[in-house]
Amino acid sequence: MDADDALRLLRSMLRIRRFEERLIQLHREGLFPGHYHVYIGQEATALAVCSALTHGDLIFSTWRNHGHLLARGADPKRMMAEILGRAGGYCGGKAGTLHLAAKELGIPATSALVGGNIPLAVGAALGLKYRRTGGIVVAFFGDGALEEGAFYEGILLAALWKVPTLLVCENNSVPPHLRAPGQYPSSVHPARQLVDVPSSFSIAAEVVDGTDLEELMPFMEKQVRAVRGGEPRFVEVRTTRWPGSVPLWPELVGGETELGWAFGERPASEEYAEWVEQSDPVIRFLRRSSEKGLVTREQAETVDREVRSEIEEAVQFALASPFPEADAAFAGVFARGC
Amino acid sequence: MTPELLLGLYRQVCRIRYFEVAVERLIHEGKVRGLVHVSIGHEAVAAGVCAAMAPQDYLLTGHRGHGHVLARGADLYRTVAEILGRAAGLCGGRGGSMHLVATEKGIIGATGIVGGNLPLALGAAYTSLVLRTGGAAVAFFGDGAVGNGAFHESLNLAALWRLPVLFVCENNEVAEFTRREEHTRVARLVDLARVYGMSAERVAEGADAVAVYEAARLALELVRGGGGPYFLEVTVRRLRGHYVGDVRATRRGALEEREIEKWDPVLRTRRRLEDEGMRKDELDVVMAEAEREVEEAVERALASKEASAVNVEAEVYA
Amino acid sequence: MKVRAVEALARAIYEAMERNAEIILLGDGFGGLSPVAREAFRPVWDKFGDRVMTVSISELGLAGAGTGAALAGCRPLVDLSTGSFIFQAWPQVVNEAPNFYYMTGGQSCVPVTFYSLAGIRGAGAAQHSHATHGMLGNVPGLRVLVPATAQDFYDLMMWCLLESQDPSVFLSHALLLLEEGELQTDVWNPPGRAAVLREGMDVTLVGMSVTVLRCLKAAEMLRERGVSAEVVNLRSVVPLDVETLLGSARRTGRVVIADECHRTFGAGAEIAATIAEKAWRELKAPPVRVATADVPIPFSPPLEERVIVTAERVVEAALELCEGRRS
Repeated sequence: MDADDALRLLRSMLRIRRFEERLIQLHREGLFPGHYHVYIGQEATALAVCSALTHGDLIFSTWRNHGHLLARGADPKRMMAEILGRAGGYCGGKAGTLHLAAKELGIPATSALVGGNIPLAVGAALGLKYRRTGGIVVAFFGDGALEEGAFYEGILLAALWKVPTLLVCENNSVPPHLRAPGQYPSSVHPARQLVDVPSSFSIAAEVVDGTDLEELMPFMEKQVRAVRGGEPRFVEVRTTRWPGSVPLWPELVGGETELGWAFGERPASEEYAEWVEQSDPVIRFLRRSSEKGLVTREQAETVDREVRSEIEEAVQFALASPFPEADAAFAGVFARGC
Repeated sequence: MTPELLLGLYRQVCRIRYFEVAVERLIHEGKVRGLVHVSIGHEAVAAGVCAAMAPQDYLLTGHRGHGHVLARGADLYRTVAEILGRAAGLCGGRGGSMHLVATEKGIIGATGIVGGNLPLALGAAYTSLVLRTGGAAVAFFGDGAVGNGAFHESLNLAALWRLPVLFVCENNEVAEFTRREEHTRVARLVDLARVYGMSAERVAEGADAVAVYEAARLALELVRGGGGPYFLEVTVRRLRGHYVGDVRATRRGALEEREIEKWDPVLRTRRRLEDEGMRKDELDVVMAEAEREVEEAVERALASKEASAVNVEAEVYA
Repeated sequence: MKVRAVEALARAIYEAMERNAEIILLGDGFGGLSPVAREAFRPVWDKFGDRVMTVSISELGLAGAGTGAALAGCRPLVDLSTGSFIFQAWPQVVNEAPNFYYMTGGQSCVPVTFYSLAGIRGAGAAQHSHATHGMLGNVPGLRVLVPATAQDFYDLMMWCLLESQDPSVFLSHALLLLEEGELQTDVWNPPGRAAVLREGMDVTLVGMSVTVLRCLKAAEMLRERGVSAEVVNLRSVVPLDVETLLGSARRTGRVVIADECHRTFGAGAEIAATIAEKAWRELKAPPVRVATADVPIPFSPPLEERVIVTAERVVEAALELCEGRRS
């Protein structure tokens, strides 16, 4: 990794971070309805996976999809507009945050049912394999998906048909040994390790730390290569849940991210400082890159300013985009009449 | 293991065999409609597990349930009447072969949906805990159910809640019409169950009712003693097709002569009992009694009246 | 040529797979287990075996996989087996596949066909006897096909596999597969066009799937009683050929709808409401439904016979309408 790489990667992660922070503010101002989920704390995963993908690959995400879309190259303007339900959104306002999809980016459809995307991804991989496109399919999901029968049936078929699917389980639950009874959110699964489940189907499964982008990049490249060779793979990426995603609705519990935290400054809240220290992939990457002399504080702040300005443009675009005509609700049910 | 118990195991195996052969005959004579799945080849599992069950235990079975229901003590006459659709049937003719229920024997559910009985077993087990009856819930299913999401969710929850459930998987290596290598990459079912943190064992010779009984008794002791759920895989061979009339059986299910000795529960269990010191003439008597019991019940059921359509729309709601 | 419905079905699948390389089969139970079916489908397995996937008992997984494969550019036909098992796949069939085109704002088509052997086959009991076209018709974005004749099986399957751009449920029926009918393969009749199988003046009998046969039989029985009955074969519930229905209703003024769904909230209710709303001026009596009783299907034959749609019950309903008596 050289200085250019480091800045590029930093920019990508900051783009996700600032997008999500801005979204929380917009929601507080009442600018869009409905429940939503942010990817803060997990940015490295999307970036590492998407960096290893090529054009014909497909992604099936879930309700927590903003990071995946942005890492794949989605236009923040059209994403923001979609989340705000405007006509200029990727889906004309019909999807909102839950079902954000951009077929041109290889994200053809997004299910928000727990576990729902796994059979879709397996089937899509079957389709790509059958059509010999050389493409692979990535499914992103949380640890909760392993509690659903759909997950199980999906991996069974993936193993049976040997299809090029990369199953990325982003485990951001409170880890079992820290969990108090009834604590939310936490994984409710009796397996000692989540990877035991796909392993019992002879699907190669590994655990990896989700807070370290430098470790994740080559790791995901290796996984993608193996999947492109024709075998399904499962990875459990462990992160500690961002404190702002613990309440039912996202909150900026530590305020906006300060780049200074990578340069010796500390957040006001001690508890939040601990999370940043141990689990924030953006700050950790910035600190290490700076320690290695790849990125200076000035460069980082310049990139951050540019990203913030990009996000602001996206917000303005979204706010200026009109709501779709009400009658558009009746259109687009069927693709072809008869 | 007392002589009574041993003879009782053999009696059940024979009863089920004669019953199923009679059912097959009735189907060929056109007296039974619908799809029927006989347990020929599986008799020892029903006999062995049910012998280890206690009065307060629940039994949940599936589409191949005749053996379980008989071994658990459902009235044989009323069972064959149900399969014939007669008024005297266990369910008044409303359920048929796949839905044999006798709640007074703890046989509370029989579902025709593969894997459908597993979540039901969880609830029954939970009730035992809440009501402190000390009972267990026993769920019978085949290896085909392993493909189903409900199987996975049920193992998950049973382990999480430490429910007194005994999962009995009758692995005949064929799911409907597809051989197991074709339909799953799961290496060993017991390994899969252990992933969920539950105790699991495999009975390699599922045609030996004594071996099944011993494994089931151990399992149920642990389960009732608060040890959480238990997964028992029993290897058997189907000696017929998937359903009566399934001609694919001649291609896939037929066994070589030498294998019959090992996989036919009537032969295998008998051999085990002789090894345990039971006398030939005693065993012959038991077999003859079983045959007579079934013949009489079938005759009686054939003579019994048809279900009446008069109140067919009643009892939809309690 | 005269063929059985299962032969027409096999032929459609064969011809479609020949024409379009994107068609794949998830499962191989189409057409059922009869020797006729095995014979009819042999050419499909022989020629296209590599396009047929072996499947486990994982309806939810399969339905989702079919949807995913469609999103990736294939045109899958998914075998969901016995009609009632569609409930195992329900989340994917009603809450995933039909939503995607709409909620992506038109970006992604999902040309997947779910094959389901629906309806009361006889002695199937409560868990194997569902007629699901009513429930499925209530799902926006899903097409619901209910073939009755051999020609329907051919036309509608060809349309699903070659033309459709949307998720469809092809509702086959165990009691129709071995029925014979005329088949021509030059022109297909797409869904959304009902077929008037018999013209009449006194009463319209509306049938779908297996009830079409019962309506035809009823029409014969009615003729002997001096009543001229018109028989309409809907062929598809979604899209519904409202024009043909209204045209017939206006001509005869009396309508009996024969529907294998349970009566309450079944497909018949939708058809009756539509006819009543739009043709009420020309009707001589309100539309009437003959449907399966609102009970779980009982096993025993005399019990089952009591609750199903029969030609006799259709005749009874038609006569009441014609003779002006309503009980």
